[in-house]
Amino acid sequence: MNAFLQRAVRSPALAFVGLALVWEFCVHAFAPSPRLLPALSAIAQDAWSVWPQLVRGFGRTLLETVLGFATGALFGFFCGTVFTYSRWMERSVFPLFVVSQTVPVVAFGALIVIWFGNSLLAKVMTAFFLTFFPVTVNTLRGLKSCDPQRVALMKSFGAGRFVMFFRLAVPSALPQVMVGLRVAIGLSLIGSVVGEWFGETVGLGVMLMEAMNADLVVRLWVVMFACGLMGALLYGLLTFVERRLVWWRSES
Amino acid sequence: MKFMPHEVMPPAAVGDTAPPMLELVNVWKRFGDAQARTVAVSSVNLRIAKGEFVTLVGPSGCGKSTLFNMIAGLLPPDDDGSLLFGGAPQRDGQLLGKVSFMPQRDLLFPWRTVLDNAILALEVEGVPRKEARERARAMLPEFGLAGFAGHNPHQLSGGMRQRVALMRTFLFERDLMLLDEPFGALDALTRSRMQHWLLEIWARHRRTVLFITHDIDEAIVLGDRVLVMSARPGTVKSETAIDLPRPRDPSVVLTPEFIRIKQRLLAEIEEESRKTFAQEGTAS
Repeated sequence: MNAFLQRAVRSPALAFVGLALVWEFCVHAFAPSPRLLPALSAIAQDAWSVWPQLVRGFGRTLLETVLGFATGALFGFFCGTVFTYSRWMERSVFPLFVVSQTVPVVAFGALIVIWFGNSLLAKVMTAFFLTFFPVTVNTLRGLKSCDPQRVALMKSFGAGRFVMFFRLAVPSALPQVMVGLRVAIGLSLIGSVVGEWFGETVGLGVMLMEAMNADLVVRLWVVMFACGLMGALLYGLLTFVERRLVWWRSES
Repeated sequence: MKFMPHEVMPPAAVGDTAPPMLELVNVWKRFGDAQARTVAVSSVNLRIAKGEFVTLVGPSGCGKSTLFNMIAGLLPPDDDGSLLFGGAPQRDGQLLGKVSFMPQRDLLFPWRTVLDNAILALEVEGVPRKEARERARAMLPEFGLAGFAGHNPHQLSGGMRQRVALMRTFLFERDLMLLDEPFGALDALTRSRMQHWLLEIWARHRRTVLFITHDIDEAIVLGDRVLVMSARPGTVKSETAIDLPRPRDPSVVLTPEFIRIKQRLLAEIEEESRKTFAQEGTAS
């Protein structure tokens, strides 16, 4: 029983419950204007009233986020690999990547709409744009930090470039690549929500815009919670995959 | 080949009939340009016959590892010397894949199990995984790893990790094995056990071994011959045939013959260490 209590105290669930209790207490004790802090029960009620729209929006934004993340991660891994093995490409193209990231994604949201129209692809592109860079950088770093003594060992076994890459370089880079992916998943969600602001009818980003324009403060909270839930789910899923894939401890 | 105490094999006698397994003729390695030149290895001549266990001792920083990397094919020797393997001269990188090489660190891959670490070289060679695993599994008991096939490297002790690395080296079946201070990081007791265990394995498999160490006892206990390397620039300063009878058990270190050999080698190495110190003193 004692052990169970200790586990419960340490688990994040208790912190969430505690926060919710404090929230409700504040609302009842100080009775602030609902504009500043609506009651949790009011938020839940509002969520219930727009349930179908919320579910559809959630699904749509999730699709955009996942597609943007997947394509961005693949592209990022590819670029990181190319930069690792081609000094020339790293010198000439990599700075371009860095510059591209200094432009805030909002600045060319309109351009993306002009290019890709009011389509799913447009949102996937904004998510992609935010995703590929951290994956590229971390793949590059991971592959470059491959232990030279292990490389020498593989060479002494007569290993060629492909064997070296798949048997040694990729597994040693994986922990670092995962760091990049974890950063990227959050950014991907931001990308798809922001992408929706430039023209869309379904999605959490759209609901957020609508709530803002109609001054529905409680609805804002609903959408915020939905976004938070999605982010946490994706992050959790990624952590799960990481535990399965990169189960060994990093040695360095 | 030589179980009789006095049947010492002078290297020259072997060279007459068959070419030695490995022969280094006037091998040099210099680093840096003309202004700031470091000579790591200078004029090394040595021959190793098939089936011999040769140990190489020297003070730290004497170029042992540089020499080793050259023999492994990882580093080309300078042009003025030549390196012959089975009688044939070896050019850049030609030795890669011909010598089984075990560096100081075990370098196990943390994402592979014990068994899969052991078959790494076989996999590189293109042996099907299933067959490679079967071969490795059969060797586990001999290497004291029975029941550990599925363990991960971080679950093993230092001695066990070193045995996995040795098994990986053994499974890469090449005529010449290069072992670079494989027991350097182990505590004294484990080290002594590992030495005798290695001797047993060597007696069964009869590979040619070149073994680097900075531990004189280890060099004498293991070797048919002990080569002493001088301080930088490293070169082979002396060569001593060890005629202690085999099989050697741990108590061999207490015999008067052992102590006599050790005293002589110690004096030589002491001198070299002093030189290294003096050099470092003038350099700084």
